[in-house]
Amino acid sequence: MTCPHLEYRDDDGRFDAPRAYCGAADRFVQAMRADVCNDRYDLDHATDCEIFRAHEREETDAEADES
Amino acid sequence: MTGYADYLAGDPVILTAALTGGVHGKEANPNLPETPAEIGRAAAAAEAAGAAVVHVHARKDNGERSFATERFQAVDDAIREHADDVVIQHSTGGTGAPDDLRHQPLRTDPAPEMASLDMGPLNRYDHLTSENTRGLVDSLHAEMVERGVKPELEVFNDGHLNELHGLLERRDLADPVYATLICGPGTLTRPRPRNFLNLISNLPDGAAFNTLGFGRHQLPFAAMGVLFGGHVRVGLEDNVYYEAGELAESNAQLVERVAGLARELGRPAATPDDARELLGLRGRAE
Repeated sequence: MTCPHLEYRDDDGRFDAPRAYCGAADRFVQAMRADVCNDRYDLDHATDCEIFRAHEREETDAEADES
Repeated sequence: MTGYADYLAGDPVILTAALTGGVHGKEANPNLPETPAEIGRAAAAAEAAGAAVVHVHARKDNGERSFATERFQAVDDAIREHADDVVIQHSTGGTGAPDDLRHQPLRTDPAPEMASLDMGPLNRYDHLTSENTRGLVDSLHAEMVERGVKPELEVFNDGHLNELHGLLERRDLADPVYATLICGPGTLTRPRPRNFLNLISNLPDGAAFNTLGFGRHQLPFAAMGVLFGGHVRVGLEDNVYYEAGELAESNAQLVERVAGLARELGRPAATPDDARELLGLRGRAE
């Protein structure tokens, strides 16, 4: 399963082909990180990506604050 | 070549252009070549600017990493369309990629004249490590020997020098041993002149070295590499800026600057044939 924050965008023609974009970090990601986003090889966004992990923590903290 | 006396001899300096890499891409600098055609044109421009060697990775059309032999073949074919003499060096690096894929770049036709061989582990981001086990290093080296590929031993820190010496104890390497000494942030050797000198002084006897400073350290370490009798690698894989706050226009721009610096310091840029002779390469397949 790929990262739920992963999108592919061409940035209104800035790039010839749509590229990996991280909705959590709000930016295009590096080629190597895109393999993490896509869970390619033995990579796993849930354990290997600090952006995903930080976003999950923030959401958990926000939910705790509301409860 | 391992010292100032070698600089004084005025031998040619081999400039390697690391054209594309596999970490950042056009999101960091839109001038970074990614497709085979872009890499081919960049190789020709870098050679014209003074590069004898081009270090290449392969990418998909959207810039993401590819380890497939077919994609490396497309890159090589594109390079040969535009630059029929430059030495082609493939990367065998690949954080997170399984070992069998790491061999794929060695299997083009013809095989590359050179290929990188990472000497040990290095951290990536916060939760990843490129392991580069001794088992993988040995198996990649064995295939390089079989296919006539000269290994470029990538020394990311001084622990990797121990690994290099260990590799020499385990396996026969053709002379000269050629090591790239890498300085920069993270797992790399801390970029200080004394650390660089320490790396040089701990190389095996007779080894030749290539100098690589990441980011803002690229130019000063290039100068030190020239002065201490080594060779130099520059390019957008390692540094996307020409100077602080100004993105580089091209790989050729970075090569041209260092070629001029070396020339001013008394060492001409090596031609591809100079590099073949200095490094004992098998030569281009016709």
